[in-house]
Amino acid sequence: MSRIARSISRRLYHPNALEHQAKFPLFPLTYGSDSLQYKVLNNTLKNHVPEHGFNERAIVASLNELELGSSVLSALGSDNSPSFLNVAPSVLELVKFHLVTKRYAITQELDSELANSDTATYNAPALKTLFQRRLELNKPVAPHLSQLLSILSIPGEFLVKSALPELHRLSDDMVYYSNETDSPDFAWYSKRVAISSAFVSSELFMAQDKSPDYGQTFEFAAEKLDRVTRLGQYYTNTEEYLWYTLLMSINLAKSQLTRC
Amino acid sequence: MSPKPFNAVISRPFSAVRSLRKAAKTASSGSQGSPNSPKYKPLSRAQLAYLDRAIRVDQAGELGANYIYAGQYFVLANKYPHLKPVLQHMWDQEIHHHNTFNELQLQRRVRPSLFTPLWKLGAFAMGSGTALISPEAAMACTEAVETVIGAHYNDQLRCLNNQYEMESTEGQKGQSREILNLTSTIKQFRDEELEHLDTAVEHDSHKAVPYVMLTEGIKLVCRSAVWTAERI
Repeated sequence: MSRIARSISRRLYHPNALEHQAKFPLFPLTYGSDSLQYKVLNNTLKNHVPEHGFNERAIVASLNELELGSSVLSALGSDNSPSFLNVAPSVLELVKFHLVTKRYAITQELDSELANSDTATYNAPALKTLFQRRLELNKPVAPHLSQLLSILSIPGEFLVKSALPELHRLSDDMVYYSNETDSPDFAWYSKRVAISSAFVSSELFMAQDKSPDYGQTFEFAAEKLDRVTRLGQYYTNTEEYLWYTLLMSINLAKSQLTRC
Repeated sequence: MSPKPFNAVISRPFSAVRSLRKAAKTASSGSQGSPNSPKYKPLSRAQLAYLDRAIRVDQAGELGANYIYAGQYFVLANKYPHLKPVLQHMWDQEIHHHNTFNELQLQRRVRPSLFTPLWKLGAFAMGSGTALISPEAAMACTEAVETVIGAHYNDQLRCLNNQYEMESTEGQKGQSREILNLTSTIKQFRDEELEHLDTAVEHDSHKAVPYVMLTEGIKLVCRSAVWTAERI
């Protein structure tokens, strides 16, 4: 149990990037963007997943296109143990690749935006923008989203070691790179959990959305996120009011005591 | 009393964008082969894990200290006016420490301790509880807490000095500025905490009535809180 809790909450210190090299630029993927795995999985995700979905057929089609032998299939994702419902380790790697690269994509865009814009006037994007940007990136694979979500939610090692930590990293990144104020106390956790759950429910909505260009999904996501922020405000206001009332009543008692 | 340190929503005083901007700048200058930007080789997992827990426990500790002084101030400030400036001075320093570690925690993306609400409540109860016994007991509480904190900071400094000698990409050895800054921050804070210890002794902490029981009990509580805050 504690092992599970540890791997979900694993979020290590980030040393600054100016002075320190990163061990893996695409952590938790252990390969860089110039590796064979990256090339194969990237090609699969771009060209074959929209057609075949998240399965071995897509990877094999990609291998054929790249003129690689199908034995590469067994080399992909060798660090994943097979899932209960017989999802191949290579497919799990493909899913992980999808989650990780798209998480990095939303902040990479931020980076290039930054390089092109006037640095003095640059404002960090709103949380909502990053949230929608991540959903935009789901559009090409949207028809296979329910399949993806079912792979992600099968209880087992993959859920604990990859799916949940990746969801948490996503919401952490969204808070960190947006102009959202962050809090150093317990609200740190509640904020991330709220954003994660908003994201998962938006993805679930998107999986069944038939509206043109997924318009309804984006409406749903905006409303969901709005509700989360409003809930946070309610909580803060209540807390502030209670604290004020407490101090007030203490001071009132004190003043009454000094009178008599 | 001022409720300021309690509900103050910390608006992020650093900007992720600014650090990105700097990173982008050095990345472009690095490709031109600028000699004054050597990078250090990646920190190992153990080194990162230690920094992670160090920041977390220091933040929780300073939060505790902040609330202990708040509790003492709340009880003692009006009853014993001669203690008011002393407590105010120490409390202000703790608020500064707490804010510094809050900033570091957000900037370095370390998760805060999961028991933060419990630390707040416990620390305030400890501060006001000992102050209710007597001002000497409050000072004995300060003495015990600062002893534990001082020793703990010393342990961290030892580890930071020993274990973070890193090699840069150009083969030089040394510590990155980030680690050096953290070390000097901790050093300064340790000195200030030990100053509080002296202040507490000067204000008759040894005259507290169940002196040994109070100090040893509080030391035990603090050590177990440190142990927990490092991990959870």
